[in-house]
Amino acid sequence: MNPAGTQAFVDDLALRHLDAAYNLGRWLLGNEQDAADAVHDAYVRAARASDTYAGGNARAWWLAIVRNCCLARLAVRNKEKRNVAIDKNPQAAEHWMPRTEADDVEDRADSAKRQQLITQHLQNLPENFREVLILREIEELSYREIADVLQTPIGTVMSRLARARAVLQKNLTDNINTQAPYGL
Amino acid sequence: MDCKAAHVLMPLYFDGELDRATSREFEAHLDACADCRAALIELDALRHTLREDAPRYKAPDALRARIQNKAPASSTRASSRRTSSRWLALAASWVLAFVAGGAMVTTWQRTSTTSVAQTQLTRDLFASHWRALAATSPIDVVSTDQHTVKPWFAGKIAIAPVVHDFAGQGYALIGGRIDYVGSERVPVLVYRFGKHLIDVFVLPQNAATSIDQRTQSQGYVLAMVNLDGQPAAIVTDMGQSELERFKDLLSTAR
Repeated sequence: MNPAGTQAFVDDLALRHLDAAYNLGRWLLGNEQDAADAVHDAYVRAARASDTYAGGNARAWWLAIVRNCCLARLAVRNKEKRNVAIDKNPQAAEHWMPRTEADDVEDRADSAKRQQLITQHLQNLPENFREVLILREIEELSYREIADVLQTPIGTVMSRLARARAVLQKNLTDNINTQAPYGL
Repeated sequence: MDCKAAHVLMPLYFDGELDRATSREFEAHLDACADCRAALIELDALRHTLREDAPRYKAPDALRARIQNKAPASSTRASSRRTSSRWLALAASWVLAFVAGGAMVTTWQRTSTTSVAQTQLTRDLFASHWRALAATSPIDVVSTDQHTVKPWFAGKIAIAPVVHDFAGQGYALIGGRIDYVGSERVPVLVYRFGKHLIDVFVLPQNAATSIDQRTQSQGYVLAMVNLDGQPAAIVTDMGQSELERFKDLLSTAR
């Protein structure tokens, strides 16, 4: 492909799968700014490295770059030791549990609480479990695509996904059993 | 099949990664085993929890704009702002995409004097064809046999395409693949005519109305055809008369 063609290809790819890229970044990095920056890094890197695209699944190629950019940011952040745990974020709680005087206040609180709960549990999972769950359950990638994104053998994808599901399932069940029912 | 084997295969079955024969064996075991049924229901419940309650964060407009503005203005491209959201019903998302895509094309047409308007969908189809040409293999399932290609799609995709081989007429079926058009997975039938590669995208019913009957781009032609009631788009670089003949074959094959 000529340079103009590859640029158009990367633009098209990035814009088409921008939500998927951002969602992955948001879950890996835990906040909006870093996620947006990482996706932008990925776009720049993809445009520069478009000649390394050797055919195959373009979405997986793009998401692999996004993931690498996210991991690079995570590494820097962990080094600088200024990462904030998202599960301690009161703004997120406020966002998912808006106060309202409407009649269906309990319904809303319930669904907001569920969202907060699952978000928290996902964020508490190890990164490699979280990403495989996001890619499979939310982005609906196939095992092959996930393997391409994570650059691991497909067998690793399968075992990691099984473990991630088991851990999340267990944590959710434990949580429900130890917590008082909603509305109390 | 015992529970131990079923346990190993369960995620593959659940994720649609198990071949048909083994799926049947697994289902036979499932019919007889309440424990495994319960485990499968739990997997499904977890998926529902994640899809409904784990937010799928949408890319902020600022980020989209940042990337769009960086993208150099090219005369053959309409910049697209597609709102693709899996939370919306399928039909609604298609309508939104076309409205947004159409609106963008219109605005962009007014500001540009040299370019040829293409809808988002048309561009997707061309891009997909070119990507397939650039890839090492344009097909996922290699077969010259329509009885292999058709079942391969089953279970992978909602649309079951009509598959016919026209090797006798010079248009040989060489296989199929699954590709993305917009946010949709669609089956693609791949034919070869001489040195020309022909992609036949089988489209959802509501997608077809927004595409012109015939569009050209960089020497490639896109033509719409009706595949036994199912709209389909042919993308290829072969000549006019060969294309017409192929269209006739496709639309009359039963």
